[in-house]
Amino acid sequence: MAEYIKLVDVSRCAGCRGCQVACKQWNELPAEKTGFTGSYQNPPDLSFDTWNLIRYDEIEQDGKLRWIMRHDACMHCDHPACVKVCPTGALAKTDEGAVIHDPKLCIGCKACTAGCPFDVPRYSKAADKIAKCTLCYSRITNGRTPACVMACPTGCLSFGNKDEMMEKAIKRAETINGTVYPNNPKYPTHVVCVFPNNIKASDLSHTNPHPSMPLLVLLWKNLLKPFTLLGIGAVAGGAALHYLIKGPHEVHEKKEGGE
Amino acid sequence: MSHHEKDMIMVTDATERIAHWILALSCLFCVITGLGLMFHAWAIIPTVLGGYYATKWMHIFSGVIFAIATGYAYFMWAKDSMFEKDDLGWMMQAGGYLWEAKNLPPVYKYNAGQKAFFWCVIAFGALIVVSGLAMVNAQIFPPMIARWAFMLHALSGLVIAAFIVIHIYLGTIGNPGTVGAMITGYCSRAWCQTHCPRWLEEKEKK
Repeated sequence: MAEYIKLVDVSRCAGCRGCQVACKQWNELPAEKTGFTGSYQNPPDLSFDTWNLIRYDEIEQDGKLRWIMRHDACMHCDHPACVKVCPTGALAKTDEGAVIHDPKLCIGCKACTAGCPFDVPRYSKAADKIAKCTLCYSRITNGRTPACVMACPTGCLSFGNKDEMMEKAIKRAETINGTVYPNNPKYPTHVVCVFPNNIKASDLSHTNPHPSMPLLVLLWKNLLKPFTLLGIGAVAGGAALHYLIKGPHEVHEKKEGGE
Repeated sequence: MSHHEKDMIMVTDATERIAHWILALSCLFCVITGLGLMFHAWAIIPTVLGGYYATKWMHIFSGVIFAIATGYAYFMWAKDSMFEKDDLGWMMQAGGYLWEAKNLPPVYKYNAGQKAFFWCVIAFGALIVVSGLAMVNAQIFPPMIARWAFMLHALSGLVIAAFIVIHIYLGTIGNPGTVGAMITGYCSRAWCQTHCPRWLEEKEKK
């Protein structure tokens, strides 16, 4: 089974929102009523019904305005924190690299919304479930590209074999003197961005400059979780040993009349 | 004490016993459902209870009962659980539970270990309730706050679950004659002389 990567060449995004519309259409997601917030940003954020959007950032550099548009959606982590914390298996990692979500199994516990280093899964109180991008799993397993990639008119989004896309990203970054994001080899993702020259993740809104498995998730799932069983077991074993070695704490009756 | 033998003494009244069992059963149910939600390998727990979604809500409702019962327990038992000077001497000898203790300071109603258990349930009970509330409403907090809530919920669950095991052991087979305190409410006079001599003395003076 081939492993895929979705490449987001941020330098090529024209902010047309074609990817947003295609995502809504393919995944049958309703439109949201939004308002004017003083920028092109619309809708304002990812939501239960909006699995991808373009983030519009106005950055001032050397007295000049730079308008950066970034396609933002699930990053499809190689070792996803959301899958690690999901109690029911509603979130799962596939061989293709996609992190998929089964709404039938989701119980709306919101552990994934807390665990995700990219703030991607979004909860709906009405549905009491979360929803997020699935990398169009039904499409990519049938020889098609994700809907957002298919709709992209500028070549900002591309989809393909993991190694080829990685090579493409590095080449493109070299050509435009940009950077590949995320660049944490310990936390690889199946969505890779190329940022334009002089643009760091910290310059952009809603972008984690140092994505990794969150420390609190590690503490919770790798330490406290096993220690729950170990702790209960150790204490029960200790009590049993105490009973066998020391024996029960018998009542010592005082002699009648003695104080 | 009509139907009780003359040397039996009421150590816990009906209100205390009912409050204790509401607290204990809601806590135990939370531990069982919590373990079922934490370990994929224990899917049998949510399966028996009607699925993960039902288990989540049962865990939350049981948590609400636990929160109310813990709050009530605080007002009921805090006064008798205040630490005093003698508790240090009791603690230093582990109450004679681990090795032979000499001249253990006489206990009033609860010994230092019981007090420690009480305050542990109050402190980690408060933490587990607050973090649980934050988890239920995780969508209104920044992910970082929600992440702390999930971690602290797991931590306080661990502490409470481990303490429960000690509590059950010491309340039953570890201390013969004790379990009646939470069933009929009565313990023997000899039991009171062993476990709460100062309280007994004061009670009998009246």
